[in-house]
This record gives sequence, C-alpha cells and structure tokens, in this order.
Amino acid sequence: MTVEVGALWRQKSVMWMLVRRDLAVKYQSSVLGYLWSLIDPLVQALIYWFIFGVLYHTKTELYGAGYPLFIVSGIFSWMWISAGITESAHALTSQARLITTMRVRRQIFPVAKVLARAVEYLAGLPIVVLFAILFHGTFTWRLLALPLSMVIQGVLLVGIALILSPLNVLFRDVERMTRLIVRVLMYTAPIIYPLSRVMDSGLPHWFKDLYQLNPMVGIIDIQHGMWIPQLFPKPTVILASAAGSVIIFIIGLWVFRKTESAVLKEL
Amino acid sequence: MSDPVIEAHDLGIQFNKGRRKQRKLREMFIFRGKNRRTPAATTDFWALRHLDFSIQHGEAVGLIGSNGTGKSTLLRLIAGVLTPDEGSVVCRGKVAPLLELSAGFSGDLTGRENVQIVAAMHGLSSQQIRSKFDEIVDYAEIGDFIDTPVRHYSSGMKVRLGFAVITQLEHPVLLVDEALAVGDRKFREKCYATIEGMLAQGRTLVLVSHSDADLRRFCKRGIYLRGGQLITDGPVEDALDTYHDFAKV
Repeated sequence: MTVEVGALWRQKSVMWMLVRRDLAVKYQSSVLGYLWSLIDPLVQALIYWFIFGVLYHTKTELYGAGYPLFIVSGIFSWMWISAGITESAHALTSQARLITTMRVRRQIFPVAKVLARAVEYLAGLPIVVLFAILFHGTFTWRLLALPLSMVIQGVLLVGIALILSPLNVLFRDVERMTRLIVRVLMYTAPIIYPLSRVMDSGLPHWFKDLYQLNPMVGIIDIQHGMWIPQLFPKPTVILASAAGSVIIFIIGLWVFRKTESAVLKEL
Repeated sequence: MSDPVIEAHDLGIQFNKGRRKQRKLREMFIFRGKNRRTPAATTDFWALRHLDFSIQHGEAVGLIGSNGTGKSTLLRLIAGVLTPDEGSVVCRGKVAPLLELSAGFSGDLTGRENVQIVAAMHGLSSQQIRSKFDEIVDYAEIGDFIDTPVRHYSSGMKVRLGFAVITQLEHPVLLVDEALAVGDRKFREKCYATIEGMLAQGRTLVLVSHSDADLRRFCKRGIYLRGGQLITDGPVEDALDTYHDFAKV
C-alpha cells in the first residue's frame, strides 16, 4: 500500500495538471465561473434554512449560534463529498482517450477528480468564515481541526473514487446508482440536523452505533464543532471516522488493482 | 549483447466479442458461480496469443498485417496501456507512444493546454515543457491556432501537434501507429526526416503501417501477424512477401 501511495505522490505534477484542466474545462464557458461552486451550496443552504430554521425552529440545540452557520458549515463540506463521489464515478470513462494512449498510473485520474473538488471546497471557505462572523460562531483552537477533517475526508473520497470509477467502466449502472445513493447519504450524516437529534431520539442502540460508524458523521461534526464548540465530536467519533476512511481507502486500492486490466480493455 | 529493449514471452491477450459494456449488473450476481459456464466466457477470443520475440536496442521493426490482426493491440501492450492475460512483455526504457491520431488531446482545451498536459504525462517537467514549447509549435506549424480549442482542429493539425510533442521526448523507444498516413506530403517528409534522425541517434522504433514504402524506408525487420499469431519475424521484405502472398489468395 505504501508503495502505491508513494508512486502516486511521484506523479503529483501530472495530477496537479489534471486538477487544473478539470477546473479549466468546468468553468471556461460559463460567465460566473467559479462562483457557481459557491452559489450551488448557498442555494441549498437557503432551502434548508427556510424549512428547518424558519418552519421547524431548529435552534434549541445550537448553543446560541445561528442555524444558517450550522447549515452552511456542513453543506460546503457535503458538496465536496457529493460532487467528489458523483464526478469520480466517471473519472475514467470521461477521460478514456488520455488513459488509453498514455502510460501513467491510472489511479491518478479518480484522485485528481477528488482533488479538484477539494480546491472548490477551499475556495468556498471564506464564505463559511463570513457566516461564522455573522451568526455568532466561536473562534477557538478547534479551527485547527480543519486540516484533520480535510485529510480524513480526502482519504475517504479517494477510496470511494477508486472503487466507483473502475466499476463504472464495467457496469454503467454504477453512475446512476451512485447518484441515487448520494441523495440518501445526505440524510445519513448530521448536515441539516444536529447529531443530538439522532442520539437523543428513541431509536434503538444498535442503530445509533451503526449511524456513528459512518465516517461522514465525524467529518461533518468537526466542521460544525469548529464554530460551535459544544458540537465538537468526541475523540472516539473522530477515530472511528478516520479508521473507516482508511479501510475504504485500502479497499479502493485493492478494487482498482483487481479491475485495472479489464477496465483498460473496455475503455 | 545487452538485454533486448522489448521482450515478449508467450504473450497473449483476450477480448470479449460481446458488448460487455451493456452487460447488466444483474448478470454479475446471477452468473457468479465458478463452475457454471458464463455466456460471456464463450464469446471470449484471443486477440493475440503465443507471441515470442525480442527487439534489440536501435532496431526499427515494422508490424505488418491486415486490419484486425492485433497490430495496434500489440503496440498498446508494449506501451503498457493494456496488460496481458498470458505471458509477459517487458519494455526496458521509457516509451514515446503515438498510438492514436488524437494523441490523447481533449477537444475542450486549447492546443497549448493540451500540449502541456500530454507532455507532462509523457514525463516532461514543467521547465522542460516551457523551454520546448515554442519548438513544438513551430514544428507542428500550428501558429496562432495554438490557443484555439482542439475540437476545431483538422485531423492533420491534430496529428502534427501530437507528433511534434513526441519529437521532443528523449525516450529511447518510439511506438508509432499509422500516424504518418494523415499529414500532407510536406509534413510527411518532415516526419520521415525526424524519424530517420531519431533512428540515427540509436533509438528503437516499432511502426504499424499499411504503407509498404514507409515500412521499407524505416524498418529492416518486419513482424507479420495474422489472426493474432506471429507468422513471420525476419527481414522486412520477407514479412511483406508473406503478407502479400496471403492477401492475394
């Protein structure tokens, strides 16, 4: 595994090139350009704020911080997850030309997709900070957890990308299935509701444990806890999240290696 | 003699005749049992099989054969963009491949962006790309169109730019697949001169072509493939003769 990671690292300049190309292609013929990567999550946040903030008054568990801050800090991170998963599913199929003529590590294509979405996430961070200022976020040492959350999220997404991208070459069903699953996943992490809603509910214990095994729970709650200290996850939750991500990453490396030869023939 | 640059042992690769792409997910689960014969397995065929050859440093080898006999597949196996199902192929040294007329360019990007990406993927550093960029554009005779999206290029322009990138690589092994057929006569002459120059530097060339003249010009050795089998491996004249004898019948 370390060998493969090392080999990927050696191709970082090519990967960076792919990331830049990805962003260039995505924004070249649109007037608003990269602003779209901000507008999209903001509009979503607006919808959830209206439903859950205004109509359902999700305020009590937020310790004085505004619901808009809660929703925005979660949703920007979620956009990276959802766009990363759906777009990396066709990381190989959409770049077949390049892959079938060039001798490079094929893993770099899904990885570059995830990194390009990470760049968009970073570009949106100032907006999150703005919301933190406007809606009573607390600036503490917990902000230092941001890189940690990003690393866990990056490892998780790369793992998922390495699983989905080759499978999508062999079975095009994967792409459609992914879109569906991502829609469901959004509600399996505390993005629009606080984690306490699940934990304090009458749901059975095994369900609560299962819920917390989802690596996304830890990632999203770090994003919330950065601004709202009371929501900062317990070390065990972060640890579970990190462990889950690494396991998925290792599975991804394995799946990619196993399917690579068949994928190359099919492209 | 030193180790051969390219070495194939009992090389074989299998393809599927059916359209695997359209196979439904459900089949993956239904035909999972190992002893049950899957319908997919019956449509598998060997595109290449039992190939043994070695190519020495500085040799120029032509791959000869009718359409669909595995020439391009063999080139891709040597380049490492396909992996064999049987046997092995080793290539000692970096490869400069021109496997497709499009050279891996993507239509949405300008010529400049494409050159940067493709050159980086071939292993050039960003300094090298910067210093060689003007030379590439000059060679391709693209001029101002370098900042036009590649989808607006003619096929001749694309292949010129693709070949121009390849000429700047210092990799010892050159793999060319019918790229020369597209350019006009003037550019073809230029390509010929470049390839001859590269061969004079002692680089190794594997060329796929349907043009006897091209093959005779560059290659001393010819490998004739028929139905995925290696029929003749010898002087290019012999290989061409066997090919023409067979094609006549």
